[in-house]
Amino acid sequence: MSRRARLLVFALGAAGLAVMFAFAVAGMPPFGTSEHPYRDLAVPAALQHRTANVVSSVNFDQRALDTLGEEVILLSSVIGTAALLRPTRRESRRPATRGGRVSDSTTLLSYLLLPVTVLIGLDVVVHGHLTPGGGFQGGVVLATAVHLLYLAGRYESLQRLRPLSWYVWTEGLSAASFAVLGLVGLALGSGFLANIAPLGSFQSLLSAGTVPILNIVTGAAVAGGGVVLLAQFFAQAIGTTQLPTRRSTS
Amino acid sequence: MYRGSASDLAPLAVALPIVMACVVLVVQRWASRRLADLLAMVAAVAALGLCVALVAAAKDGRVVTWSGGWEPRGGRSVGVVLVVDQLGAGFACLAAGLTCCALLYSWRYLETAHGHYHALMLLFLAGMIGFVLTGDLFNMFVFFELMGVSAFALAGLHIEEPDSVQGSLNFALINSFGAYLSLMGIGLLYARTGQLGFAQLGAKLAGHPADGLIVGAFVLVTIGFLVKAAMAPMHFWLADAHAVAPTPVCVLMSGVMVEMGVYALARVYLTVFATSIPAPVVQRTFLTMGLLTAAVGSLMCFAQRHLKRLLAYSTIAHVGLFLIGFALLRPDGLAGVALYVVGHAGVKGALFLLVGLLLDRFQTLDEGKLFGRVGGRHPACWMFLVAALALAGLPPSGPGLGKAITEEAASAAGYPWLSVVFVLVSAVTGAAVLRAGLRVFLGQGHRPGPIEPAHQIGAEPKKPETEHPLRRTPSTMLVAIGVLLAGSVVVGVVPALAQAVGHGAGFFGDQAGYVDQALFAVPATPVPASPATWWSRSGLLLGAASTVLAVIIAGISLHVGSPERGRFLSRMIAGFELVRRLHSGHIGDYVAWLIFGAAMLAALIGLPLLP
Repeated sequence: MSRRARLLVFALGAAGLAVMFAFAVAGMPPFGTSEHPYRDLAVPAALQHRTANVVSSVNFDQRALDTLGEEVILLSSVIGTAALLRPTRRESRRPATRGGRVSDSTTLLSYLLLPVTVLIGLDVVVHGHLTPGGGFQGGVVLATAVHLLYLAGRYESLQRLRPLSWYVWTEGLSAASFAVLGLVGLALGSGFLANIAPLGSFQSLLSAGTVPILNIVTGAAVAGGGVVLLAQFFAQAIGTTQLPTRRSTS
Repeated sequence: MYRGSASDLAPLAVALPIVMACVVLVVQRWASRRLADLLAMVAAVAALGLCVALVAAAKDGRVVTWSGGWEPRGGRSVGVVLVVDQLGAGFACLAAGLTCCALLYSWRYLETAHGHYHALMLLFLAGMIGFVLTGDLFNMFVFFELMGVSAFALAGLHIEEPDSVQGSLNFALINSFGAYLSLMGIGLLYARTGQLGFAQLGAKLAGHPADGLIVGAFVLVTIGFLVKAAMAPMHFWLADAHAVAPTPVCVLMSGVMVEMGVYALARVYLTVFATSIPAPVVQRTFLTMGLLTAAVGSLMCFAQRHLKRLLAYSTIAHVGLFLIGFALLRPDGLAGVALYVVGHAGVKGALFLLVGLLLDRFQTLDEGKLFGRVGGRHPACWMFLVAALALAGLPPSGPGLGKAITEEAASAAGYPWLSVVFVLVSAVTGAAVLRAGLRVFLGQGHRPGPIEPAHQIGAEPKKPETEHPLRRTPSTMLVAIGVLLAGSVVVGVVPALAQAVGHGAGFFGDQAGYVDQALFAVPATPVPASPATWWSRSGLLLGAASTVLAVIIAGISLHVGSPERGRFLSRMIAGFELVRRLHSGHIGDYVAWLIFGAAMLAALIGLPLLP
């Protein structure tokens, strides 16, 4: 289609959708009322399982099946990226060159922040059932921490700290353990992904039953997945080179 | 200790492929190729077994499983529920069965991207199974995304082909865009009701007249599913994705993933919106869209010479028929569509695999380049021709039975003229496949000229999918094709199967029963005996008619050269050329049409409901 035809089709469609959306939004309940059917169920349910962070209770206890699905989506995208970015026969690994310059202050700051970031990541993961945060958020922080090495200008030390297969295994094993934990609940007769661990005392580190366990498992999966994902893009951008091809008839 | 119960089957069927995918991922580094093949196959067969057991367990209604043990009290719960009825479980069986055949086909020979293929196939299967077993709208969306993400990666797996990434990217962008619209619709529904389960949503909306929010939510939620179902004008991605995807992945995409979009439309409408959006409006809307889809699909199918594209467009044409069958909103219509889907999956899967054999041997998919190269003595020849006739509706094949029952449901619903549409669409798509088969295997008719210069995504593959071009066909591949064909025929000759589907369709549309059983554990009441779902005399006749018509059309297109162009004909060709040019491979075009299609749907449903 010509540019103008495409715009015309799009404009007609967008106008129609906008009208429909306006009607739909007009039918929404007013903002800030006290009627919240799901909250009224979820908060007591979280307290019943001694989980201080209700969001974590919804994610890892009440609707844990959704979270299992989401974690597997992440796993699937990581495998998919690895498959799509795998080096073809026309590409070869090249040793990373010491290109570019990194200022000393950046390097220093990155080294200083590395342990701090790892600690924060672990903290966010471990306290997911008590304070805002949890496996997904903490996992991202952990994956980021490893890449401060890259900011410090040390792609080689990043590669050394990053035997990729370990991270793949971490990701695979932790995704599997999420599902297996669910199956344990099934085997005990309490239901798939049921909260089967002892509930502990409210607001303490050891509380909320399986919620912290699933948080840690998710944190490991997300951290592993994040590292593998970024590694694929790094490898594509820095570590491989396209061999000159004999351009055939294509 | 563990006491097995039927309600454990559903979560097991979802979890098992996930765990096995992780195992394959972890062991692939040391393990041989054969172990990866074996593990994936074991997982797929076990999942199939679990799904078959689910079909049996859902015989008298539905199997309800609350995850995490959050059983409802007074009809309210915070948990996620899996509600399995026979049609849902049957769909899961179809997904698992096709995965087994696809894995058998790729056994040992097909290139698998270092085991990534196996893990992705299992995750794809897990997504599809979860999608059809769940009874919760948001959970359905999660599995929808899982299904999507794995399929995007699988479709682009041949990274050495230059077009592969482009086709997969079109697939991913358009489908993700549709999914975002779905998510907005879910948000609207949640804002109104504070619920996410189908049963809770249905109970909350029951008797509530359709207003702007309900219409908007229905349109937005279903857009994502209809993009997946390749309903025109949101179908453009499908041919691009099929043109580049590895052959076993095409089997899953055409055989079951696309049809899941229709399943989700039916499930969401019948459980959530059935009492608020009036049936006549939905009926008119999806009859219109179904007719449009069937017309575009058959026209484009007949015009293709790239064999995978040809088969892909025939899938679009058949989706049009499935949408029409759903639009009848009758149990026998649903039963007909379900049988049609199963029969179509077997035939279409077999055809894709046969085309894959040609690619592995001759490194091309072009009807002209393959002309007469295979010879009629290869077993692939008669398999291909039989499958073509079955696609056209030859009794007693599965597609023929599905078509016959849907036609009868259409007559009973007051649309006897729809039979003409069914006959025409199956005849034209069958004829296109038949023509291709006769040219490729038997060298009939004249050889089509060289490829036209207009570039299409995936038009010229350069490599076989196997590590080396195949000299002879491995028996595993032939067995996979044979199983698919046999499965398709079994649907048409075993009355018990059709009966069970008819029985299950009765439960599928029973909204009140669904709510009662999911939320209040009320055992399902037996549905009134469904009308006979078996071959009738008119069904046999119409099946024979469409087959004969297909043979005639194929014969004409093979032996009649391009005629003198009269004014009428040249106008028609110009009009068709316009339609063909719309399928440009340009992602911007596709997005524009998606938005336009969504607006069309909104108008068709919303305008008649304006006060």
